[in-house]
Amino acid sequence: MEELIQELKERIIDALNLEEMTPDDIDAQAPLFGEGLGLDSIDALELIVLLEKNYGIRLANPAEGKAIFASVETIARYVSEHRTK
Amino acid sequence: MVYCLADNVTSPLGTTTEANYEALVGGQSALQRYEGRWHLAEPFVASLFGSEQETALATPGLTRFESLVVASARRAVAQSGIDVTTSRVALVIGSTKGNIDCLVDGEEPSQDYYMGDTAQHIAAALGMTTQPIVACNACISGVSAIVVAMRLLDAGYYDYAVVCGADVQSKFTVAGFQALKAVSAQPCRPFDMERLGLNLGEAAATMVLCSHRVAPRDRALWAIEGGAVRNDAFHVSSPSKNGEGARLALCATRAAEIADELACINAHGTATMFNDQMESVAIERAGLNAVPVNALKGYYGHTMGAAGVLETVMTMHGIDHATVLGTRGFEERGVSGKITLSPDHQPTARDSFVKMISGFGGSNAALLMSKTPKLQHAEQALPGFVVTHRVTMLPGSLTVDGKSVDVACDGGEWLTAVYKQCMGNYPKFYKMDMLSRLALVASDVLLQEEGGARFEPCDSRAVVLFNHSSSRQADSDFLATIARDDECFPSPSLFVYTLPNMAVAEVAMRNQYHGETSLYLLPGRDDDTMRNIVRASLLDAGTTSMITGWIDFEDNDHFVADLYIIEKRID
Repeated sequence: MEELIQELKERIIDALNLEEMTPDDIDAQAPLFGEGLGLDSIDALELIVLLEKNYGIRLANPAEGKAIFASVETIARYVSEHRTK
Repeated sequence: MVYCLADNVTSPLGTTTEANYEALVGGQSALQRYEGRWHLAEPFVASLFGSEQETALATPGLTRFESLVVASARRAVAQSGIDVTTSRVALVIGSTKGNIDCLVDGEEPSQDYYMGDTAQHIAAALGMTTQPIVACNACISGVSAIVVAMRLLDAGYYDYAVVCGADVQSKFTVAGFQALKAVSAQPCRPFDMERLGLNLGEAAATMVLCSHRVAPRDRALWAIEGGAVRNDAFHVSSPSKNGEGARLALCATRAAEIADELACINAHGTATMFNDQMESVAIERAGLNAVPVNALKGYYGHTMGAAGVLETVMTMHGIDHATVLGTRGFEERGVSGKITLSPDHQPTARDSFVKMISGFGGSNAALLMSKTPKLQHAEQALPGFVVTHRVTMLPGSLTVDGKSVDVACDGGEWLTAVYKQCMGNYPKFYKMDMLSRLALVASDVLLQEEGGARFEPCDSRAVVLFNHSSSRQADSDFLATIARDDECFPSPSLFVYTLPNMAVAEVAMRNQYHGETSLYLLPGRDDDTMRNIVRASLLDAGTTSMITGWIDFEDNDHFVADLYIIEKRID
């Protein structure tokens, strides 16, 4: 799981253009949206693409994303259970 | 004031306004379901021309988009009877993406890609001789084109204007809207409780406008009594919760003064959750919720740059027949603003209406149209302006009010070095495409030089920029995410920045400017045309100052931002 969390942090930084951040700056348990990293609705959609492209997970309903994208840890848990690649 | 001499709608429902009107009265819709079209995995519903229709519309030597514009404009011009070859006739095109279907992944864009050049092909085919102007403001482009044409005529620069809104569909736009989860796989249901998103559509619509100075007196013509563009300054793709930009645009038309005499408000009504909700709030806040509302997306889908012109023309024709067209797809109100809509056509004895429209980049626009003008219109002197500050940025060079500024660059991207030195602490910078980054940084340096209050809501400052290369870099980057059918992962954030008006939107958002935001594409930098549009835009009573100038980004070695702050002067 630790490895997946690290990989997700790197992919999130890359996909969301969090240019001046490093994986160490992201707390895996902290909320991703709201105050945290200042992410918005477009970032949430970009995370849906990230899951599909890298792990073969298709979220048909963007509303599902809310619980999954709560933190890096919740994403990691969802990915490890649902990945198809 | 300006009048409409003639019009045309060319859509999958017909190639004349009359044929389109007959179809709508009969309850027809052009929406159809497509599966596997352009190898897209998700099915979608859209209004697209069939191959026979395309063949009939085609002009040899012109692209699909250009042929469509020319077909529509030719019919309207013929009906108007004016000679379009003189220097007194403007050509204004409103389009979101023009010839985007001509862009090939991995290749340099051909000349067709550049919308200013596209407009020149169209002007030549129509026999027109003035410099064409392209209003490129995402989904409000059609109304934006009408507003700038109205101001250019009011300013006296031209007597007539051929205004055409148009867009064609391709994998590019459908994949982009799908990535934004905005597309419904069923026919759209504007303002309805169960609405699931929009359908895209292709069409062209034309209005031939004339100044009151040359308007014929022998027949009643539709008049544009007011028009304005305003910004939400909230988010690149989400409309603001309180509909501030749309409310300001509605108020600027002065429609509330004649609310009792309005037949309807023809809303944008895309049938996305957020758009329709926002519009209902804006209508209520503008004091117009007693006026019936309708939306035409259930017949045509969202025709992007065409929508503003097409829906204005169809609403005019409805009212000519004493009819407010029904909102196809609507059953039960699913928005919080207390507005009234009907799925059925309704009789009306009134002859004025409001057209409203919104788009990405926080852009909003509204028109007040009347068959019998109702407001007092005093002749306005053309305002002048003074330049208060100027910033020029080129690769490796930054000049502020004539003085060169040293930028410490460690060999990385020069624009990023300017951002770090002069601005910093605005991480959204890295999320933007290069055109928006350039506009943001150059305008920030300009505003620091001005030294006034910053980041406080301001309704009176406009951002009006001129450009040639559109969002070239973002277009290529987005295309690369969808080019392979087996690896098609359209990026929503890249798609948003394929709208070049994000450059003006980012400046408005950073500084909380709710005034007009407009981006115009030209065949090349042309200071006379730019100055005319700037002075004409100052006829907007709500605008007292403006950030304006030329901005273009081809690549890291070829870009320019030459921006000014100007203050309006009335002698």
